[in-house]
Amino acid sequence: MPTSLTDSVEYRSAENSPLILHAHDLEKTVTSGERPLSILQHLNLQVFKGQSVAIIGQSGAGKSTLLGLLAGLDTPTGGELALFGESLGELDEDGRARLRAGRVGFVFQNFQLLPTLTALENVQLPLELTPMADDSRRARQWLQRVGLGERLSHLPRQLSGGEQQRVALARAFVTAPVLVFADEPTGNLDPVTGEQVIETLFSLNREAGTTLVLVTHDAQLAARCDHSLRLENGQLTEQLTTRSDGEEQTSGALESTT
Amino acid sequence: MIAMVKLSLRGLWRDFRASDVRALLLALTLAVAAATMIGFFLDRLERGLTREAGQLLGGDLVLEQSRPFGEALRSELLDAGFTLSERVGMVSMVSQGEGFSPASLKAVDDAYPHYGESLVDRGEGNGAESLARGPAPGSVWIAPRLEILLDVGPGDMLQVGQAKLKIDGVIEREADPSAGFSSFNPRVMMHVADLPATGLVQPGSRINYALLAAGPVTALDAIEPRLVQWREQGLEIQDVHRDRPRLGSALARADRYLSLAGLAAVLLAGVAVAMATRRYVERHLDTAALLRSFGATQRQLGGIFMLQLLWLALLASLLGAVLGLAGQALLLLLLSGMLPVDLPAPGLLPLVMGVLTALAVLVGFAGPTLLRLRRVSALKVLRREFDPLPASAWLVQGSAAAVFGVLLWMYSGDIGLALGLLVGGSMALLGLWWLGSLLLKLLLGVCGALPRAAAGQNEVSGVKQAFLQALRIGGSQLARRREASLGQLLAFATTLFAMAMIAMVRGDLLSAWQEQLPADTPNYFAINIQPHEREGFEAQLDALALSRSSLYPMVRGRITAINGQLPRDVVPSEAQGNNALNRELNLTWSNELPDGNRVVAGDWSATAEPVIESLANGAEQGWHNSVDAVSSDSTPVAKISMEAELASNLGLALGDVLTFSIGSEQVHAEIASLRTLNWDSFQPNFYVIFPPKSLDGFGHSFITAFRMDTQREAVKSLITQFPSVTLLDVDAILQRVRDVLNQVTRAVEWVLIFVLLAGFSVLYAALTASAPVRAHEGGVLRVFGAGQATLARIQAAEFALLGLSSGLLAALLAELASAGLYMGWLDLAPRLHLWLWLWLPLSGALLVGGIGHWLSRDLRRQAPMASLGLIGET
Repeated sequence: MPTSLTDSVEYRSAENSPLILHAHDLEKTVTSGERPLSILQHLNLQVFKGQSVAIIGQSGAGKSTLLGLLAGLDTPTGGELALFGESLGELDEDGRARLRAGRVGFVFQNFQLLPTLTALENVQLPLELTPMADDSRRARQWLQRVGLGERLSHLPRQLSGGEQQRVALARAFVTAPVLVFADEPTGNLDPVTGEQVIETLFSLNREAGTTLVLVTHDAQLAARCDHSLRLENGQLTEQLTTRSDGEEQTSGALESTT
Repeated sequence: MIAMVKLSLRGLWRDFRASDVRALLLALTLAVAAATMIGFFLDRLERGLTREAGQLLGGDLVLEQSRPFGEALRSELLDAGFTLSERVGMVSMVSQGEGFSPASLKAVDDAYPHYGESLVDRGEGNGAESLARGPAPGSVWIAPRLEILLDVGPGDMLQVGQAKLKIDGVIEREADPSAGFSSFNPRVMMHVADLPATGLVQPGSRINYALLAAGPVTALDAIEPRLVQWREQGLEIQDVHRDRPRLGSALARADRYLSLAGLAAVLLAGVAVAMATRRYVERHLDTAALLRSFGATQRQLGGIFMLQLLWLALLASLLGAVLGLAGQALLLLLLSGMLPVDLPAPGLLPLVMGVLTALAVLVGFAGPTLLRLRRVSALKVLRREFDPLPASAWLVQGSAAAVFGVLLWMYSGDIGLALGLLVGGSMALLGLWWLGSLLLKLLLGVCGALPRAAAGQNEVSGVKQAFLQALRIGGSQLARRREASLGQLLAFATTLFAMAMIAMVRGDLLSAWQEQLPADTPNYFAINIQPHEREGFEAQLDALALSRSSLYPMVRGRITAINGQLPRDVVPSEAQGNNALNRELNLTWSNELPDGNRVVAGDWSATAEPVIESLANGAEQGWHNSVDAVSSDSTPVAKISMEAELASNLGLALGDVLTFSIGSEQVHAEIASLRTLNWDSFQPNFYVIFPPKSLDGFGHSFITAFRMDTQREAVKSLITQFPSVTLLDVDAILQRVRDVLNQVTRAVEWVLIFVLLAGFSVLYAALTASAPVRAHEGGVLRVFGAGQATLARIQAAEFALLGLSSGLLAALLAELASAGLYMGWLDLAPRLHLWLWLWLPLSGALLVGGIGHWLSRDLRRQAPMASLGLIGET
């Protein structure tokens, strides 16, 4: 294996898809109080374009921390990480942000909509950071696709939890991103609403051919992804998953060498 | 209760880490400091000015009559708590060898002077000495003019009446200069003990006896009813409060200005308190909910937080009072030359006022917002969205306005003004709200229309694009955060407005003062210039003087009738004792309105272009030879212009006909116009101006004012060449007025600093209050790919646009308010301030942009995970 994640020409999956996300020997240790607490240890992960990968784990396993690292929102204390073929370790905060702009979408457990902006304005926000024309029309279209075409000018507090999360979905997909991170997208929703949101998420993902990294504690939800990895003791282990089409398969998401 | 106190204290202690609590403390401290400082200062200034006035008058109370004062009156004054000094004045000839001259004698006793010191050159070669006494018995002090006229000096003997008195010094400044101002002859000061020896005090001599009384305000209050009675008995009485001379208008303005500045500082601190409280409450909603779920009642909850803020207010009061005391000490230092040395210790009242101000500001500006904490539902512990509604904007603003109105009233002592400003202010606020919304809408439109980078380009590159992107996003964010932005816009506009007003009024006040006393302000008056001397004197002045006014002809005349009736029968009762009715007025005639005069009613041209041209004495055809036939319709009547304040005091209006007795004749005159003039201008001023030439037939002389270097030679040549002309040296008085204005100017600038500080506290509080919202927005923007630099640009653009918009609103507000204020309160002519429209938006953008950028630097450095509150959720 190469020592660097980016010096090889390109990693390709079995289906010849490019490697989008590559974590090697990833570590994260936080110092809480006097004793350092190791959250992630020697963690490896490969995500290829178009894949959907679920990371499951118990509360406190470090799922959100991992997601933050993968998205470049936070920095690891050890190991290497590449996004879109670029090593995050070599980029500063701004560089990582630029890497995300227009190419990464996010869905949060607590929605993270700006309370003073309308649904439409919230969806327009990521577009503001990219030179895409016609942001209003685009944002409208995406809101229509998540079924909120009539609620464009509503503020988040005028929307139900499910509706808010659907606005967040539209916001995540509006830039036509390559990769979407979802952090417990149904965590704050009741089962029925959660189911609707998940349906929307997966259908958008399918239509757009987006790569999806989903963090959840819900095994059923995880089962709908191509791959399902369990985060335990700071490391990822492969899960045997059953796809919704009934076909059993193993994941290729873990680096073969570890 | 004790538990509540404990809980509140502990909470406050922990809270000091929070920026909103620090902002609250800062704002309240500044409010108290400003209020106490200005309170202390004005208190002392008032006393200082009264002293100053007392010094000019010679005492707090000056009683004058033409015969000696009886024992009864003396003992009454002594009983009231006054100390007394006697002054006897008369005009007499003094001589030395061949030379003699009329002189204005002023005999004083050992108690003279009550205040101040005289500057006397005793000829010992070491210049003038400050002496807090009059001349010793057997000696006199003389005016410099007499020194020249009689060619005498210290050590020579001077013949005064039948007595020979030794000249002991030349007076450079009298301790009570105004006492000498009304007398045109050179001064000779002597001791009353020498009066009998002069033999000048004879039955029938015109002698002015004055009793100078000095005492505390309580003594003045105690004697007030008697003063009224004595005035009615014909006693001429001046007291420091009613008859504050000369320095009056400039200092009255300064006084008002300082009050205004103090109020502005308090208002700004109030705005800061309101903003900081909002954040404080939002931050404590969770705590409140938790306490509720543990079983705290609304009352307990309100109590705990109110107590917490009360401790804060007390702490702020303490800090503010110390600051205020230090501040006023500095103010006093700046004004040291003007105030008496032995000022009484600062009173407690301003301190009490300061603390009350802090509490009032807290209750008025923070109270309604604080109530929100009481209404927290315990359910919020489980469901975040159970936030209580924010306090109604009307309630918040109404309570703040009410408190501010009371403070206005307290500080200005003028309820009409307080109400007027309050109503005006509320209307302005409504207008601002509307204008602000409009501005935000406009901003949204403009920012949305800003060009974007070409499609397909993946990154925003280039300075111009980065700038445009920052403006587009920053502006849109600002405009979309409607409610919050409007609040901030109004707060900053108010802040910039108050700062601008204080700075602007300061500038205009100073330039008004400078205009009042320009560098070429006359320092000499010349009177008794005879008509045949006129041309020669004018020529001489043109050669010697640095500047001069016109020569005005002057006759003296007394008002003997108003509309054919005795003046006493028609003027209002409070004008019965008016000096203008008791003495002869200086009347002039001219076709030109004197400099500094402004016609406020009627028509000046009626006076300037008279129908009647002639007016000679005796039987010549003219309007005044038939003056006895007042009732006759054919009686010619001169159209005169009268000074507006005297007219209003005497209850006179346009069209009223006055009868003047000039010499032995009666002259009728109709008021055709009313003028205002500046009595502090050191220019010849006249109550009444007649049509040109109309009074030529009367024996008259000319008066002028001019500026001349005080060097002896020029003055001496004027005096020797025109011995009958009387020169009055007002340089000392002029200098004194200048000194006072300079000192007050420095005080005004010092106070300005406080207002600026209060302004900064508003900015700090407001930006602190909005920090969490901005942090969240910043976090979301960064998740979607905005870099630190981009974020910094966007935030800077947002702050700058906020400041810019606030500046625009503030400029508008300032322009409107200044017009009203100038006319209504400061008695200045309104002017347009074009620089406001440039400077306010610009400085707003820089100030808000700069401070905002600086305050949010930590936010930008924070990892996005932290901004979004995701850290800790592993």
